[in-house]
Amino acid sequence: MNEVKVEVLGLEPPCMRCQAARKVAEKVAEKLKQTEIIVKVEKANIMSKDVVGKYGVLVSPAIAVNGVVKFMGRVPSEAEVEKTIREAVKKEA
Amino acid sequence: MSTGLVKKLRTAVLLGFVFTVIGLLIYSRIMAYSLAPTMKPADFRGLAIWEIPIAYLIDYFSHGWICLLFAFVAAGLVYEFVPKEAITKYMSSGRVAGYGLALGMAPFLTVCSCTMVPLFGGVLFAGAGIGPAITFLLMAPAANILSILLTGELISWELAGVRIIVSIVVALTAGIVISKTPWGRAIEKEHQQTVPTGQASIEIVKPPLDERLWASLKFAAYLAKQILPFFLLGLVAVSYVQAYLPEDIVGTYLTGVTGVLIASVIGGPLYTPTLVEIVLGKGMFELGMSKGALLSWLMGQPYDVANALAVSRIAKWKVVLTYMLIAWAGSVVFGLLYGMLSGSL
Repeated sequence: MNEVKVEVLGLEPPCMRCQAARKVAEKVAEKLKQTEIIVKVEKANIMSKDVVGKYGVLVSPAIAVNGVVKFMGRVPSEAEVEKTIREAVKKEA
Repeated sequence: MSTGLVKKLRTAVLLGFVFTVIGLLIYSRIMAYSLAPTMKPADFRGLAIWEIPIAYLIDYFSHGWICLLFAFVAAGLVYEFVPKEAITKYMSSGRVAGYGLALGMAPFLTVCSCTMVPLFGGVLFAGAGIGPAITFLLMAPAANILSILLTGELISWELAGVRIIVSIVVALTAGIVISKTPWGRAIEKEHQQTVPTGQASIEIVKPPLDERLWASLKFAAYLAKQILPFFLLGLVAVSYVQAYLPEDIVGTYLTGVTGVLIASVIGGPLYTPTLVEIVLGKGMFELGMSKGALLSWLMGQPYDVANALAVSRIAKWKVVLTYMLIAWAGSVVFGLLYGMLSGSL
């Protein structure tokens, strides 16, 4: 069983593009359920001190996979996010 | 068909579209074809009330569509291809770099206000300090790529250039002044914290060219969707201003020193991040507003209310008030100066 943590870093209150990014992440998570990869999607405020302390200055929306920011300032496609998650799983294994 | 071929085809089609848009703009330049509305106030006088906005919109879009299309596509492309990770990396690195990047990069990054406020917070928390954060905040709406392109195309490139220079001076002044005030420093201390130096936690995935092009056009469409409804409403309002605002009122109140003062005061609250201020400014300019007042009017936007509210949640109201005052003073001073230098006060 593989577990991947996906953080969607967006604005609070949510902006449209951050919500779009979260939807992409959740759809991919739903899809990967069938392939033995458990994707935990978490939402974090891009302006919180925790996020800035961990990742530095970011452009919203950003998506981090297993603690590494992979996408920033754009809404990636589902295929891209899926590929990135699969790569992260391979790296762990 | 193989996927490789499909990808190449897609890239070619998208590139073709982008170059067509750029080509159209250049062609219209060469042919000296006006991209701004051509109707003069007098043309409206004979029309019925409901005919005015329709006639104006038709006039506007028959000329303005190339310019609008170009502006949105350019904004989308620039936003997508600007190296964001390099910028964010340097933004946390220090004061001088912070100011430089705030001035140089704000115009390209911030066609969308929802990228601006988090960057403001990020720059502040990351230790570059409140100065660069404020500079960034003021520079972004005053001189972003969309509004500069439209100012240049619709009013004049001279004014667009002046607008950029004045924005830089005002934003830098506000940043430096606020970083010296006791309340500015208090905010800075409160929020400052150490940031990971390694930057190992960021590894951006680079998508292939066709996807980047597609993404930038999608972003352009998103911007257009956000802005155009307000823009249309604004144009309707402008058509009535053009039709009914008597020229002698504009001549009396929107020229000279009074003109600059009035323009700078109404420019702020009336500002909506929708480019309407440019068309409205053009409308009043045609009715006789002076160049100096026009500049003040356009510089009014950095102290718009919505922006200030979002910022006051992070920085205290004292900081907001200080930068609003500086922005206002800047718009008055430079409005007067530009009016005198250009001989149109």
